[in-house]
Amino acid sequence: MATDAAIRLKGVTKAFGEMQAVDSLDLEVPVGGLYGFIGPNGAGKTTSIRMIMSILFPDSGEVAVLGQASALDAKDRIGYLPEERGLYRKMKVRPFLRYVARLKGLHGSDLDRRIAGWLARVGLAGIESKRCDELSKGMSQKVQFVSAVIHEPDLLILDEPFSGLDPVSMRVLRDLILAEHARGTTILFSTHVMPQAEEICEHVIMIHKGRKVLDESVPAIRNRFDPRAIQFEPLDPGADTGALTSIPDVEGVTDGERGLEVLLRDGTDPVAVMRSVMDAVPAARVELSRPRLEDVFIGLVTDSASGEDAQHLRAELQDAEHSGTPQ
Amino acid sequence: MNRIVQIAIRDFLAVVMTKGFIIGLLIMPAFLAVSIIVFPRFIDGGSFQVEGEYAVVDPTGAVFPEMDALLDPRTISEQRIEEFRQRLDQAPEFLRGVAGTALEQAMIEELGLAPNVRLLQRPADTDVEAEKAWLNEASDGLRHTALIVVHENAVEAAGSDPGFGSYDLFVAPNLDDRDLSFIHTTIRDAIINARVSRQSLDRDALESVLRVARPSSITVRPDAEQDTMPGLNFMLPMAFVILLFMGLMTGSGTMLTSMIEEKSSRVVEILLSAVSPMELMAGKLLGSVAVSLVAMGLYLGIGLIALSSLSLFGLLDPRLIVYLMIFFLIAFFVVGSLFLAIGASVNELSEAQQLQMPVMLLVLSPMLLWPLVSRDPNSTLAVVLSFLPPVNPFFMLMRMASTQPPPLWQVWLSIAVGAASVAVAVWVAAKVFRIGLLMYGKPPNFRTLLRWVRQA
Repeated sequence: MATDAAIRLKGVTKAFGEMQAVDSLDLEVPVGGLYGFIGPNGAGKTTSIRMIMSILFPDSGEVAVLGQASALDAKDRIGYLPEERGLYRKMKVRPFLRYVARLKGLHGSDLDRRIAGWLARVGLAGIESKRCDELSKGMSQKVQFVSAVIHEPDLLILDEPFSGLDPVSMRVLRDLILAEHARGTTILFSTHVMPQAEEICEHVIMIHKGRKVLDESVPAIRNRFDPRAIQFEPLDPGADTGALTSIPDVEGVTDGERGLEVLLRDGTDPVAVMRSVMDAVPAARVELSRPRLEDVFIGLVTDSASGEDAQHLRAELQDAEHSGTPQ
Repeated sequence: MNRIVQIAIRDFLAVVMTKGFIIGLLIMPAFLAVSIIVFPRFIDGGSFQVEGEYAVVDPTGAVFPEMDALLDPRTISEQRIEEFRQRLDQAPEFLRGVAGTALEQAMIEELGLAPNVRLLQRPADTDVEAEKAWLNEASDGLRHTALIVVHENAVEAAGSDPGFGSYDLFVAPNLDDRDLSFIHTTIRDAIINARVSRQSLDRDALESVLRVARPSSITVRPDAEQDTMPGLNFMLPMAFVILLFMGLMTGSGTMLTSMIEEKSSRVVEILLSAVSPMELMAGKLLGSVAVSLVAMGLYLGIGLIALSSLSLFGLLDPRLIVYLMIFFLIAFFVVGSLFLAIGASVNELSEAQQLQMPVMLLVLSPMLLWPLVSRDPNSTLAVVLSFLPPVNPFFMLMRMASTQPPPLWQVWLSIAVGAASVAVAVWVAAKVFRIGLLMYGKPPNFRTLLRWVRQA
């Protein structure tokens, strides 16, 4: 096995009739990485992942997974949680997991123990003999996750793993993903809900309309896309904030989503400016602005952050964030 | 390979362990048993009685007395006993041995109630046109059933014409066929009796001269001999085709529904995380072929038990069963993989039915064309059909089970054609399967399916 990359895509292209789903995509996920694969609905994430899994084949380009030319040759070492997922309605949980585990090459007498162990880890101890159609949506999502990791894979690919989960289950799942990563598993997960990626990932790959628009580590993104601004909320909402503009090194003040945005000139020390701001107007909150992936994404794929396209995209992303569930 | 077997085992058990499958499997033989054993008991042939008044215009004066004599209750009961004896003689020996009194009972029932008929003689110069109205007149006693006009030369040839005359028959509306045939038989007998006595012959003597008893033939085999079963050679090809059809439909039907369930419950991509689409398809085909074999094994077993209980086991060439299996596998993999492709490309059973229709029509065509092929198993039509996929297994099997089996080279050519058609069907189905599996939304039409085949 090549030690450098768990997944490598080179110039991968896929079209469905007229629609160009993925357009010469290059992508590399190193062994042990925790990568987020992000973009709005219809960006080409699922198609790319299906090509990585050899469920679809690219029209052109190369795919290598765990050192193999096809994921089919490494399926037992890959865990995959598809976006379109479900369970056999009439099957019981244990036979279902046993079936999936056997398909992944697990055999032997400790299979049932392993199943019980995993169910306990996701907080579903004792549901082995329930029929799948008796499970709540959150429960079946967890059973599906167990089906993806039961064989303790080297590479875990999760397509929209959080969709349809309540906040508590989302936290449980996030902790499980992080635990798998700590075990040494390479993880690639796709989401169109950017804050999730921001929270978990080391590295982010963004795609839009089938093309890659960003491929960088999270700290590097923070650095590169630092908005160089301070968020400011006055203690008295009616206070006159005109004094802020006269502070040296402040380029201007705009209305932000959560208070005022105090924009800094290049090369200034934000800490000094924060102090001056607090002196000028009594503050309820002063905070250094951090780049948000959503803003980065919108900035990358549209010409101006305030244009109609950007508004539209932002609405789409936020809508998705609230509903949590695609389609 | 192990994954394919795992899929096959799951699919097989998921079908076979359901109550629905077991009931469905037993319902067919149960229905057959009911229709053979129970239904005839409800068809109460014994309750029908020939009844009515017959008006007779008899210019010869000889036919009416003969009819009167024939309809005398004593004559009737003697005749019925004679008829009963003859029928008993004609019954196959094994039935006579097995059935005993039950058979006698059945026959007495079949003979029905004795006729209740009154004859009315009309003058020879009756106006027939006017008399016809009598047939539709209301009556408070027996119904006015028939107006019989005997020809003048019915008993004795008249003038230069050496032939005999006959009779005209007018009947009331809505007359039962059994009434009509009773009337014809009675007049015929009466006229014959009149002619015989006119020529001073003895009817019994004449009849015994004319009668040649027809024995049932005996089929001689190298190891055994037994009474020939006339219908059997005709029924055997059909039995094989029905067996093939039922086996085929059991497995491929359940496969279609399970495929649609996997797709609509979105479990299919979870499976694809562990197996390739081709492994999934192979596993499903294998699992369903096992389901089919269970059904066919059961039906075949019942058929063989039925044959051996009638000591007709020897009539069946065991090689036919081997060929049945070969042709079943060919038919299954062709039709089954097409069904699987259909199941993979739709979201609901109702959408599948539309695409399934052409395949179903093809599979049903052997049932419709059976009489043509069975009458002449070596006709050009039959030969062509037995090489034409996907129906060739049905027609070749039909020909093989017939009285004029095809030459061996044709059988093996048909098997070769079948094997090639399996390869093509699996190839086409695999392409549709791979794409269809992950397509949700609008169900595809045939044009879309063809595009998938070219695309994949």
